[in-house]
Amino acid sequence: MSAAAPRARDPYRWWRTGLFLYTGLFLTFLYLPLIVILLLSFNDSTSTGFPLQGATTKWYAQVLDSADLIAAFANSLAVGATAAVISTSLALLLALGFRHGVRGQSLVLNLILLPVLLPGIVGGIVLLIFFGYMEIRSDLWTTVLVAHVNYVLPFAFLTLYPRVHGFDRTLEEAAMDLGATPLKVFRHVVWPMLMPAVVATALFAFTLSFDEFIRTVFVSGHDRTIPVLFWLLVVDEIAPHLPAMAVVIILVSTALSLAAFAIGRRADRST
Amino acid sequence: MPRPFPGVRPIGKPFWLMLPGVAWLLVFGLAPVAFMVAVSFWRSSIFGTTPDFVFDSYARIIEEPLYLDLIVKTLRMAALTTLLSLLVSYPLAWFLATRRGAWKAVWLVAVFVPFWISYVVRTFVWLPILGRNGLINQSLMALGITDAPVEWLLYNEGAVYVGLVYVYTLFMTLPIYLALGRIDPKLLEAAADLGARPWQTFRHVVLPLSWPGVLSGCIMVFLLAVSAYVTPRLLGGTSGIMLGNMIASQFLSNNNWAMGAALSVTLVGIVGALLLVTGRWIGIAEVFTGGKK
Repeated sequence: MSAAAPRARDPYRWWRTGLFLYTGLFLTFLYLPLIVILLLSFNDSTSTGFPLQGATTKWYAQVLDSADLIAAFANSLAVGATAAVISTSLALLLALGFRHGVRGQSLVLNLILLPVLLPGIVGGIVLLIFFGYMEIRSDLWTTVLVAHVNYVLPFAFLTLYPRVHGFDRTLEEAAMDLGATPLKVFRHVVWPMLMPAVVATALFAFTLSFDEFIRTVFVSGHDRTIPVLFWLLVVDEIAPHLPAMAVVIILVSTALSLAAFAIGRRADRST
Repeated sequence: MPRPFPGVRPIGKPFWLMLPGVAWLLVFGLAPVAFMVAVSFWRSSIFGTTPDFVFDSYARIIEEPLYLDLIVKTLRMAALTTLLSLLVSYPLAWFLATRRGAWKAVWLVAVFVPFWISYVVRTFVWLPILGRNGLINQSLMALGITDAPVEWLLYNEGAVYVGLVYVYTLFMTLPIYLALGRIDPKLLEAAADLGARPWQTFRHVVLPLSWPGVLSGCIMVFLLAVSAYVTPRLLGGTSGIMLGNMIASQFLSNNNWAMGAALSVTLVGIVGALLLVTGRWIGIAEVFTGGKK
């Protein structure tokens, strides 16, 4: 593949053309269903499907007017924010503890990674059994919150730990030499340096929680998050407003993810 | 494990710092799993599930073809999904890894952004494509290829493969892309200078070097596919159901907690066995980084 070789004799030319065509095919496979959903969301027909019957925005009006969707949105925001704060705090404390090296550390690391390795459906079922046997009712602030913190905590730890471990500790040593107490060092040296990473981690945790489905669906009781609400509607019957709802959910969660990503990046860069 | 910080005193004893997190993980992480293992040995009858220590549920899983066949079928489906994802992802990963300049970012965004969308929605979008009034059937009929809608597009095993590959193939593409990106282009030039045909270079240079990425992609996709619930439930009909659906039905309709727990333990056992076997070649942490230590 040297640049000096004449183009016509480039032995990889056919490979390149093939790969290019293949990627085009893959992107069609990737985007076609999304385009179809977008078309159907404007389709003026009471049956979901083709042929298209003319354009309407009434499905969007119906979706945006739906009290269920608004309640589910509020639930998702509330539980996402709470799970993000709890999991990020726990992860930060764990990471700070890990810095100083304690016995049994690898055991704790395995404990942290357990929820990632546990199949998602089992992650929900174990809480259903556990809380069910203790006769604690499944709802947003019991089982759903626990399920989300369990799911998000390993990711929060894995993103925070390299930052907590990686920064320049000579600054801490200098502050110590100048007579600062450990608490003062943390407050004035460590925290200002870690804060951006903590914010970025919390926002990442929020987006993970917002889209969580499989650990939530069996333990959500009468409360619904957005993915659970959509699932229950889809399983019930294919209603004509579902494509519009799918588009709204795609837009909302993409917008939230992008916002979280942008804020996290900005906070992280300002140091 | 990290080196301790000799010159810096922690703000608290590491024990106290780690206590809240460890307590959470023990109470809400480990204890429910341990409890599920215990429940899998309970006795189940029409009156419900009662504490005991019997192997009834496991015996039924082994003896009744209903369960054993489903486990075998689930393993087969997960394996085939993994193979299909590998075939779909490898050329794509190579294409992405060989892009240069500003276009590289464009291609990466185009390929990876759709995977940000919830998989519940991404599974649902196949219904209006494969269904009776779906895009494929209506196109076939409009073109005069068939007179009536083709029924076998949806609610069978085949539809589940389409859905699972669509939802999970990113987890194959990403690690292979990362592994291919780490190959020194000079190696390919050297192979070409020594007279290797493109296929020979691929076979003897590229493929072996991308092996860690392939392995971590296969592990991830297999683990996700073997515990699938959403895709088989939505696209599989009765013939396409998998172990995850059987587990859910023990709680949602059969009300047999002991059996549900035993099937869950079986699923965790499958996952654990796979990680144990592949652990000889690749560590668990490296699975997430495409084989990079």
